[in-house]
Amino acid sequence: MTAAAIEARGLGKDFGTIRALEQLDLDVRAGEFFGLLGPNGAGKTTTVHLLATLLAPTRGTARVVGHDVVRDDLAVRRAIGLVFQETTLDRDLTVQENLRFAGRLWNLPGPLAVPRIEGLVRQFGLLERRDDPVRTLSGGMRRAADLARGMLHEPRVLFLDEPTAGLDPRTRRSLWELIGRLRQASGLTVFLTTHYVEEAEPCDRVAVMDHGRLVALGTPAELKRTTGVTSLEEVFLARTGHALGETGAG
Amino acid sequence: MRAVYGIVVRELVRFLRQRGRVLASIGRPFVWLIFAGAGYAAVFAGRNEIDYRVYMAPGLLGMVVMFGALLAALSTVTDRDAGVLRMVLVAPIRRGTIALGKALGATVLGTTQAVVVAALLLPLVHLRPSIAGALLAAVAVVLSSLAMGALGLALAASIRSLENFAGVMNFVVFPMLFLSGALYPVRHLGPVLRLVAYVNPLAYGVDLLKHALLGAWASAGYGGEMSSWLDIAALVGFAVVGLVAAAPLLAREGGVTRTAFRQRV
Repeated sequence: MTAAAIEARGLGKDFGTIRALEQLDLDVRAGEFFGLLGPNGAGKTTTVHLLATLLAPTRGTARVVGHDVVRDDLAVRRAIGLVFQETTLDRDLTVQENLRFAGRLWNLPGPLAVPRIEGLVRQFGLLERRDDPVRTLSGGMRRAADLARGMLHEPRVLFLDEPTAGLDPRTRRSLWELIGRLRQASGLTVFLTTHYVEEAEPCDRVAVMDHGRLVALGTPAELKRTTGVTSLEEVFLARTGHALGETGAG
Repeated sequence: MRAVYGIVVRELVRFLRQRGRVLASIGRPFVWLIFAGAGYAAVFAGRNEIDYRVYMAPGLLGMVVMFGALLAALSTVTDRDAGVLRMVLVAPIRRGTIALGKALGATVLGTTQAVVVAALLLPLVHLRPSIAGALLAAVAVVLSSLAMGALGLALAASIRSLENFAGVMNFVVFPMLFLSGALYPVRHLGPVLRLVAYVNPLAYGVDLLKHALLGAWASAGYGGEMSSWLDIAALVGFAVVGLVAAAPLLAREGGVTRTAFRQRV
């Protein structure tokens, strides 16, 4: 029950001379809604890609649902869902074809995949558009289809890397309702990266990241109390010396 | 192996949906047959022994295979740009499986196109292969598609954008075509170019197709020039080299983070 969904120890990544991620120590509990808050270039995406085995760490180790990200990369990828900042769907294929393709990539037999796809397109409001090419879908619907793709194999940990970037506020809200329902239904662990303070607010715990380092970690209430401020925006300003909107000199 | 099947199915569905690409791939060899065929037929040294259009037939099939398989493999570049490659990379499959899926997709596309073109082209030039010849031609088409697909994949995985595509066409596709024996016998070339022809996968594919289809003209010197076994071994070799080279290059997709990071910092 209390098994860690994610454990990182001294995890770091360099790109040439750039230290994208310094040394990250992090524990995310199973079922937790965890937010990684920081400006663009803080190292959030690098962190997600390291945990999702898409990048090899320069130093340190990490385990996701007990599997080492370097030695057991296949087991890690089997256990996680990942929704990227940009869509990964084939725009020329229909929603249904994309999900069938994903089902095969995740080795789901047809008799298992077909009803699951049916359920997801229904739940995500894509039923009427399932046979339309993805390129004809609105941004919000594409995101929903991406999310359906990420949930198809029923992952235990769902990574959402800036999932609402480029969406209008209404679409953003309905996407969050959807994610909320998914969490309630399955006890899913959600690891979210965002640079929107209001999206980090409902998280169980928030890690604040800047220049590849963690600068604060705790529940939103704790962070505000210990910093003596009333918003996460101010927490970020107080801990880093600059506002969240500024990327800072890198 | 469901993942390999899924990758192949996607390639097929995408291809059939692009009507222009289908028509171009079927029509291209006939354009060459009409225009290049008419011109070269008049100056072809062996025109007393073999009709130049018959001589061209195996080369044109090789050309269909080359364009079909190579363009299919090069779609990996678009996959990378469109983000689809990331969906594949985050799936619980090995990089080698991805490479195999893409190469087999290219093989299926190259082979299908060659079969369709052969069904139209061979009757048109009055070339009727024996059963053994047709079987050998099928082997040649499948192996050439696989070799081209695998090498194309390695190429696609190493080029950064489709802007480099024109360079690929000029410096890879056309030399490969002209040094393949598709349009004139390789043995007439000078020593340097002939050496280049030996590292050209298409040359082995076309040579095997000549063994299969031009057996009747072998004694006149217009059949295959190398041993069929050498052709087969070379094509298998190119396929293996391509797959082995492509697999780790595909994983370089991790570089996406890196480019994104550089833009922001």
